[in-house]
Order: sequence, then C-alpha cells, then structure tokens
Amino acid sequence: MPLIPQDEAGVQAAVADALSRGTTLAVEGLGTKRGIGRAMQAGETLSLRALSGIVTYEPEELILTAQAGTTRDVIEATLAQRGQCLAFEPPDLSALLGSDGPGTLGGMVACNLSGPRRFAAGAARDFVLGLRAVSGRGEIFKAGGRVVKNVTGYDLAKLLTGSHGTLAVLTELTLKVLPAPETAETLVLRGLPDAPALSLLRGSIALGVEPTGLAHVPGLAAPSLGETGALTLFRLEGPGPSVRARAERLRGWLAGQGAPAVETRDNVADLWRALRDARPFAGPDRRDDLVWRLSLPPASAAAVGARLAALPGVSFFFDWAGGLIWAATPARLSVETFRAALQGAGHATLIRAPEALRASVPVFPPQADGIAALSRRIKEQFDPRGILNPGRMEAGV
Amino acid sequence: MAEAAAPRPSPERLTAAFAALQALLGDRFSTAVAVRAHHGKDESYHAPFDPDGVAFARSTEEVSAIVNICADHRVPIIPFGTGTSLEGHVAALQGGISLDLSGMDRIVSVNPDDLDVTVEAGVTRKALNTHLRDTGLFFPIDPGANASLGGMAATRASGTNAVRYGTMRENVLALTVVLPDGRVVKTARRARKSAAGYDLTRLYVGSEGTLCVITEVTVRLYPIPEAISAAVCAFADIKGAVDTVIATIQQGVPVARIELLDDVQIDAINKYSKLDLPVAPTLFLEFHGSKAGVAEQAETVEAIAKDNGARGFRWTTQAEERTRLWQARHDAAYAAAALKPGAKFWATDVCVPISRLTECIVETKKDVALSFIPCPIVGHVGDGNFHVAMVVDPTRPEEIAEASRLNDRLILRALAMNGTCTGEHGVGYGKLDFLVAEHGEAVSVMRTLKQALDPLNIMNPGKIVRL
Repeated sequence: MPLIPQDEAGVQAAVADALSRGTTLAVEGLGTKRGIGRAMQAGETLSLRALSGIVTYEPEELILTAQAGTTRDVIEATLAQRGQCLAFEPPDLSALLGSDGPGTLGGMVACNLSGPRRFAAGAARDFVLGLRAVSGRGEIFKAGGRVVKNVTGYDLAKLLTGSHGTLAVLTELTLKVLPAPETAETLVLRGLPDAPALSLLRGSIALGVEPTGLAHVPGLAAPSLGETGALTLFRLEGPGPSVRARAERLRGWLAGQGAPAVETRDNVADLWRALRDARPFAGPDRRDDLVWRLSLPPASAAAVGARLAALPGVSFFFDWAGGLIWAATPARLSVETFRAALQGAGHATLIRAPEALRASVPVFPPQADGIAALSRRIKEQFDPRGILNPGRMEAGV
Repeated sequence: MAEAAAPRPSPERLTAAFAALQALLGDRFSTAVAVRAHHGKDESYHAPFDPDGVAFARSTEEVSAIVNICADHRVPIIPFGTGTSLEGHVAALQGGISLDLSGMDRIVSVNPDDLDVTVEAGVTRKALNTHLRDTGLFFPIDPGANASLGGMAATRASGTNAVRYGTMRENVLALTVVLPDGRVVKTARRARKSAAGYDLTRLYVGSEGTLCVITEVTVRLYPIPEAISAAVCAFADIKGAVDTVIATIQQGVPVARIELLDDVQIDAINKYSKLDLPVAPTLFLEFHGSKAGVAEQAETVEAIAKDNGARGFRWTTQAEERTRLWQARHDAAYAAAALKPGAKFWATDVCVPISRLTECIVETKKDVALSFIPCPIVGHVGDGNFHVAMVVDPTRPEEIAEASRLNDRLILRALAMNGTCTGEHGVGYGKLDFLVAEHGEAVSVMRTLKQALDPLNIMNPGKIVRL
C-alpha cells in the first residue's frame, strides 16, 4: 500500500518518517509515468494523489495554482471553460506507456514534458512560475512566486522542474496559462524526403509566419497514422484573419521553393495530438520496441535521421522543425548501437523500455564528468540521505 | 554598512595572488586606484566597494587560471561585464579581484539554421545585434543599459520585449562556466533542453556571479519580423492604461512591447529626449508580425484603449520615429536623474499580479506625491513589473533615508499583493533582507546550494545570500 498523505504537512511527516526509518520513497502522482526513467527500488511509494484540487485560478491573471496531485484532465477542463490552455501542449503518453490517463500536474512538471508547440512557446519549465515542495531533508519550502518575472536569487522552481522527483516532493505548482488559439490551420505537403522537408520547416520560421507546429513524418512511420507516404506539417495559430494572411504567405513561399502542392486537411487537431503523444509507436505492431526521444539542434536533424534510417527496423518522425526526433527501435538493436549511431548529436532519452533494461543502461544521456559531479552535489544538498526516487535519473542521483 | 565589516583577504594572501596574476596577465592585471574605483561601482545609488585589483581576461582558459589563483589564495572574485547592474552586484564587499570580461567580446558562432548564437561573455547586446544585422535575425532582450550578455545571463536580465520574447531565463540555451575550483563546464549542448539531468543552465542564469564565472553564452535568436509598428497612447488615468494592458493580454494579442510611463516620467523624457508628448499616463506599444498581423494587432489594441479612456492613439511603421520613441524609453532612468543636477536614480523593481497593478501604482503615487523626492514611474506593465526612479543625491543622507522609506513601503505593499521585490534587477547586496522576507525557508535552501557549489565562498561573496 502506498503512503497517501492528505496534505502538505502529511507529506512532510511521511518524508520525516522515511528519514528516521532510513527507508527510501518512490514519489508519484497516479503513477502513469512510472515507466519513465531508470528502474528503481524504493522501500515505499509516496503517492500525491490525495493532494488534489485547484487552489486558485485567476483567468484574468493567466495564472493557475493547484496541488500537485490534481489530474491533468481537471486542469485542462477548467482552463478550457475559460478559453485558456497550457501553451506547451503537454503530451499524454499513457497509450505509449500503457498507463491510465495523462496523470497529474506534479508528474507533468517533474518530467518537464512538452509537446509540438514547445519550439515556439517554450517548455513546461518555462511556464512554472512557482512551487511548494518538501525537500529530502523533510523541509517545506516555496520557490518562485505568482508573477511572471522575478529574479529573487537562485531559480529553484526551474531547477526542480524536470528533476523527476529526485530533489524534493512537489506539493503545489503555480503555472502561467495562456489564451487558447482562436483558430488553427495546418498546411500539409506530401511525399517529401526528410532533408528537403526539414529545410522547408526551418525556413518557415525564418520567414516570420510564426508557425506553432512544424513536423515531418517520413513514409515509413506514416502508415501508423493511417497515412500513405511522408507528411510535412506546418501549423499556424491565432486570430482568423492573421492565420489566413500568414497561411497565404507561407503557401506562396512554399511554391517559390518548389515544394509539392499544399493540401488543406480536416481533423488536423487529432493528427497533432497523435504526434504529441507519440502515437505512431503506441500501436500493437511496435509494442516491443524501445522508444527514444532525441533533442538536437534542428539543422543536424536530417543527418541524424539518415543515420537512424540505416539501422535495421528503426522508425522515427520529426517534431520542433527537427529539434526533436521520436524513434522506435526493435528490441534486438542494442542501446549502445543506437547511441553510437547518433555520434554525439543531441540528447537521447529512453522513454519506453522494459524495466530490466531501464535498470541496466543509462536512460538519460550520460553526462560529462563535470556536470555529473555538479548534479551529485545538488542532489546531496536537497536530499542528503538519498531517500527520494533513488537512482531514477542515474545511479546515485 | 554591515557588509563592509566582512573579512577581507590578508595582505600576505593578496601579495601572493597579485604576483601570480601579474605573471599570468602582465599589464592586464591592474591595481591602479582609478581602475579599481571604476570596477567597484555600478549604475545604482549603492555605496561602491573597490576591489583590491582588476584582472582583464581574454579567454575561458585564462579565466580558469585566474580563478585557480584566487582559489589557492582564498581571494574573492567578482565578475564584471559593463558595470550596469542596479543592486551593487559588482561591489567588492570583501575586497578581492574584479574579473573584467569585457575583453572577451568575440562572437563564437552564429547558427542561423538553428536560430541560436554563442558569444563570449563580454559581447554587449547592441554589439550582438549589430553583428546579426545581415542575417535577418535579432536578439530581443533589451535592458536599459547596453549590458554584456554574460552580465545579462548572470542577473537574469529582461527588458521591454519580455512580454513576447521572455527574459534571459527563457532565452539562454547553454553556458560555459568556470567553477570556483577552476574547472570549465558546458551546461548543455545547443539542443533544446530535454530531460537530460538537472537544469544547471537555469541554476546559473541569475546566480549573480555567486556560483561561477560565465564565460560563454548561447542564446536563442528570432527572425526580424516582417513588419514592426509602434504606437503611443495617452490616458486620463493610470487605471485606463493598465486595464488596456490587461485586456490586450487576455485577448491573446501577441504584443511585443507594452510600457507605461506616468505623467512625471513623460515630463522628464520630454525634457531629456526633446519630445513633446502630452503630460499624462501613457502607453508605448510595439507590434511585431506580418504586415496584416501588425495592422490587426494595432486596431485591436486601439479599440480596447478607446474603451478605457484613451486620448488619441498614434501609430507608426516608420523606423526613425519608432527608434526615437524607444530610445527615449530606454533613457527613462537617465532622464529621471537629469531632473536634478548631480543626482542619481534609485530604481525600485517590484512586480505584482497584473490585477493588482493599478492599485499598487495608485497607492505608490499617493506615497510619492507626499515626498520631497521626484519619483517618475515606468513600467513593463505587461509583466506587472514597474520601476519608481527615485531621484536622489547620494551625498545627502536625508534623501537616501527618504528613498529607503518609500522603497520599503512599496516592497511590503507588493509582497502583500503576492508580488516580488525584484522583477528584473536582482538581489545583489541591496535586497538581501527583502529576499528573506519574500522567500523564508527557500533562502536557506539557496544558502546550502551556495555552500555546496562554492565551498570556499570566493565567488562574489555577500550577494544573494548571507552565509
């Protein structure tokens, strides 16, 4: 049975108790992202699920504060009622990971997961204004605040975002929210090879038409989306007249670049959601594949893609104009072979893999010595006894 | 002041460190009085503290060697870019070496395809934009001063474009830093940060030189918009102006800049920048986008402004007029100081939730109206951040005391409104106590981090947290 504290004081008591008993804690919300990160063995599970509920939501301020265990469904429904959204488009990886639903706000922040709009709008981390947490020392502290700018010392809120529960137990988050785009239009090109497609995607940013989604699905990955042949997608969002004017400009530019005819499509919201959630690799045909998330400088994406294509049985698609590659590799392809094929380009994180594998190989990209030493020192300050999510990010951290 | 009583390195240590620095740097190490005095003060009213010597570095390797020497002899190091900070960040409270990075002014690599650039820490924001001129890209973060990128990263600077482009926090992709033990670390590669360990970049951005010396900075770039237009709009009262801002942001208009200047400030810039704007609360706005988008944004905001008592809404796409307007805005603090001969300015920096902004400014204006100190107000109102530029003569204790009283009242008011004492200027040694008032237990978390990452306490000691 997991420990299920009812409030922040209860979380503090649970951490203090674990400290006194010398036991370790697996920190989770609903456990939907349990499969992300290194496999770990903790003495007990500390669930934040009872710390649920929106504390304050001020639509006119574009700010929302909620307890860490509040479900994403509740948050997103509440925002939608006021025409607002989480602009970083957090993915719902439950289909990919075989878990139940998108999980909690705390899990989303702890994993710092962001979707297709990330290259234009920023990452989850950029929207975390403040938080409350209980450190591995059993101390309650708050960081950041309720305003969009502050420079009051070290940026603890950003440091904790993406720390996978290894530094402190998040209890409450304050997020910046934004008006949902009024309209969206997606321009689709068909049949382009990767390199020219990626070049057009990058070029559209420089063109100044302010795209908020730039993805390319090679032919090999297309059938999993019910498509035949490669798709290259440009999403424009905003008020109707502005979107139409920008789409017109983009069409003209694409034609001038010798691109194939632009197709206009319905149901593109579903398509973007599918890419956001890595649906191409969530189907039964790829159930046993390892799934990787690779972030890299966009200009190197085509070259990396070519190297991946040379590996047997590997499928992949590009988001963020090439800044992100989602890749599925057959289980027979070793992790070392895959990492070696990247030749040091970008960061490769193993997002889906069997527990045994996640216990034996680095899930996150191995860090340079200096960085690893610094990370350990930071871990030691927040959680000197190493009781929070031990080994989740790397052995010893 | 209490900070002055902190221990300084002994003469023996300094002598030994100086000898090693001179051997390393030759005439790029100076103990001349004028050079030291220049490096112990910033642009604020805070009392200067001269360093014992100044080292002028030319490369990351050299910075590493300098830090090693200082670590060996337990001599404090205070990184120095352009000296334009506002909370005494560069003051050598405990003596030591000012490490001047202005000679590290090379653009390391521009990557137009990836929309990023890596520069040495001493490159200034204007120099960077001049260099980028022919690429169709620009770097949007624009604090009032022509600060260095290293200093801007160290203080997590922002500016008038933050409402659309964010601050240094959102725009630094990677740093090269020299740690207190001389090791050189790159915090990230140029890829978008994505679940690869703790975010050291964000920890070091805004650490004010207390954890490391930043020697290289990689930042995001943006395409120069197809069209840019600027607008000026006067209002009957502050409330009308702020309500216009709130409605604009809620409607999702992607305004690039939206700045409030009160009547006192307008009067000051009219005199300083030779403008003839009506003396009333005024918004300066700028729109970036396509030609159609810019026109549409301006029309939307004009309609909102009219609903809120605007007196005329003038907009222009002419580059010359726009530049003149924004230069005047950037010179606002200097314009304030020019209200009184020999005066300096003490800029407050609170940031409050935007729904409380009108109340906060109106209450503050009541306070300053009763004061004998001139107090123009400018604000990055889209972010809830505003500055009262209190015009003081630092040699007159009664003026400093009065400014201090006004500042205390304003900060307590902002904290009571769930705001912060500093939206963009930072802590330095000027706001140590307010940081404790605002963050409580988090300050002890920061203290333990400082002790872990700078165990000898040689990196800009006495700033952000007291040990």
